[in-house]
Amino acid sequence: MLQDLINALSLGSIYLLFALGMSLVWGTVGILNFAHGAIFMFAAFVSSIITDQVRLPLPALIVIGAAVGALLSVAVQMLAFQPIMRRAKDHRSGEMQILIGGIGVAAIPLAIAEEVTGSNPFGFAGSSYVTSTFSLLGVRVTSTQLMVVAAALVIGIGVIVWLRFSRSGLALRSIGVDPETASLMGVNRRVLSLSTMAVAGGLAGLAGVLLTYNLGAITPESGDVLLIKAFAAVILGGVGSMAGVIVGAYVLAAAETIVLTQTSGLWVDAVSFGFIFAVLLFKSEGLFGRREVRRT
Amino acid sequence: MIAWYDTNIILIQSTFVGLLMALSLQVPIRFGVFSFAGIGCYGIGAYVAAIMTIRYEWPAVAAIGAGMLIAGVVGYLLALTVRRLGGLYLGMATIAFDLIVGVLAVNGGDLTGGPSGLFGALADVTTLHLVLISAVVVGLLAYSERGAIGRRVEAVREDPELAASMGIDVRRHRQAAFVISALLGACAGGLNVLLRTTIAPTDIGFSLVVLALTMIIVGGSRSWAGALIGAMIFTWLPSFLEFSGQWQKVIYGVIVALAAIWVPGGLLGMMTDAYRSWQRSRRDAGSGDGDRTPLGSRAEGTPA
Repeated sequence: MLQDLINALSLGSIYLLFALGMSLVWGTVGILNFAHGAIFMFAAFVSSIITDQVRLPLPALIVIGAAVGALLSVAVQMLAFQPIMRRAKDHRSGEMQILIGGIGVAAIPLAIAEEVTGSNPFGFAGSSYVTSTFSLLGVRVTSTQLMVVAAALVIGIGVIVWLRFSRSGLALRSIGVDPETASLMGVNRRVLSLSTMAVAGGLAGLAGVLLTYNLGAITPESGDVLLIKAFAAVILGGVGSMAGVIVGAYVLAAAETIVLTQTSGLWVDAVSFGFIFAVLLFKSEGLFGRREVRRT
Repeated sequence: MIAWYDTNIILIQSTFVGLLMALSLQVPIRFGVFSFAGIGCYGIGAYVAAIMTIRYEWPAVAAIGAGMLIAGVVGYLLALTVRRLGGLYLGMATIAFDLIVGVLAVNGGDLTGGPSGLFGALADVTTLHLVLISAVVVGLLAYSERGAIGRRVEAVREDPELAASMGIDVRRHRQAAFVISALLGACAGGLNVLLRTTIAPTDIGFSLVVLALTMIIVGGSRSWAGALIGAMIFTWLPSFLEFSGQWQKVIYGVIVALAAIWVPGGLLGMMTDAYRSWQRSRRDAGSGDGDRTPLGSRAEGTPA
C-alpha cells in the first residue's frame, strides 16, 4: 500500500513536470502546444546521444536536456506558431490551426529520433550517475524518485509564487486575460511569449531527462502518451490554474495507480481519456479553473 | 496498365479507404464542428464488420452495414453528450473518445481478440465495390456542397447565430455532421478490415487521427476534392520517397508542418486561388484592349 503511494507520487511528479509547461503556455499565451511531447522526448534523446560519447554526471545532463527543450520550444514558437497567429483571421480559427501545426511539427523530431534509434528505447547508459535504492519500512525508494518528487514540488510551487507575486508573472497573467490591454500597458507580448515558451520547453526537457533516469530507458513514442496524460491533468485542474495542474497531475497518477493495482493493467489508459471526457462534459472549467471568458 | 494495376492494388485500395476516412473528419469541419470522432467510428466499424464476418459469417454488406448502424447510433449519442462543447475542447473530447474505443478493443477479451486483434475476416469485397461506394459517397457530398444545402452548411459553419436567425436549425445540422461522420468512418473501417482481413488496436490509435487530419490539411478542408488530393498524396508519397531511404519520415513530417503553417487552405485552396487570380488577370488584360475605365478595373481588382 505504502509502496503504491510512493509509486503514485513519483508518477504524478513526472506528469506534473511535463504538464506545468503545457499549462503555463496554454493558460497565458493561449497556445495548446501539441509539439510539447516531441520536445520532451527530443531533449532526452539529445542528452542520450551526448552521454554515449562523453561520460557525464546527472546535473550536466539535466542542463543539456533543459537547454535543448528550451531551444526547440522557442524554435517551434518562432517558426510555426507565430506565423500561424499572424495569418489567422480570428482567435478561434487560430487555435485550431495551432493544434494542427503543433501535430505537424511534432512529427519531425519524432521521425529523426525513430530513424536514429530504429524505434528502440534509448537511455543514459553512459552517464556516471547510478540510481541507488533505499529500503525504508519495507518500501523501496530510489534516489531518482526522490529527486523527481522534489523537483516537481519545488518547481510547481515556484511557478505559482512567480506568477502571483513577480512583476513579470503579473504581466504574463495579464496577457492571458486581455492581450490588447496588456500591450497598451507596456507589456512586450512577443518577448514574453517567447520566454514563456522557453521556460515550458526547459521544463519539458528536464522532465524528459528525469523520466529517462527513472525508467532506465524511454521510446521515441513516449512523448505522445504523456501529452494526452498531461492534457488530462491540465483539464482536470482547470486551464490557467497552476495549483489546479498540480492537483490534477497527482489525482490522475493516484487514479491510474489504483486501476493498475486492481485490474489486469490494460485499462490504465482509459483513466486519462475518461477523465478528459468526464471533466469536459460535467465541469468544463475543471476543479480550480476560472470560467472561460470568450473575448470578441 | 493491367500490370500496373496488379502491382499497386494495395495502394489503390488504400487510397479509397483513405478518402472515406479523410471525409469522415472533413464533413464535420465543413459544418464548423471540430470533431475527430470519425476515427473512433472507423474502429467501431472495423471491429463490428470483423466480428460479424468471423463469428457469424455474415455477408460483407450486412457486416459493414451493422458496423455503420452501430457507429451511427454511437455518433448520434456522442453528438447529444458533447453538444455544449466547442472548438478546442470538442476536438480534445472527441480524440479522447477515439482513444477510449482503442482501449475497449484491447480489453474486449475474446470478442475483440485483445491486444493482438482479430484475424481472418475473409469476405468477397473487391476493389470495384470500394470504388463504387466511394463514387456514391463523393457524389452525395459534392451535391451537399452546392445550392441551397451548400449555403446552409456554410452559414452554420461561418456564423451559427446568423444561421439560426435565418431559420436554419443549427443543432440538427451539427448532429447530422456527427452522424454522417460516424457512417463514413465506419464504412471506411469495415471496408478496410474486409480487404485486409485483420484489425488490431494499434491500427486505430492516435496516429490514425494524425494521418486522416494531415490528409485534409494538406489536401484542403473545404471540399471533397481536397480529401481526395490528400488521400492520394499520403497513400502514394511513401513509395515515391523511397529514394530518400532512411529519412523518408522526416521529409513527411516537414511536408505536413509546412502545409499546416503556410497553406491553411490546403493544396486545393492554393489551386483555386491560383485559378481565380489567373482568370482575373486574363479578364483584366482582355478589358485593357478595349475601352478600359479606371473605375471598372479598380472594382475588379478589389480583393474578394
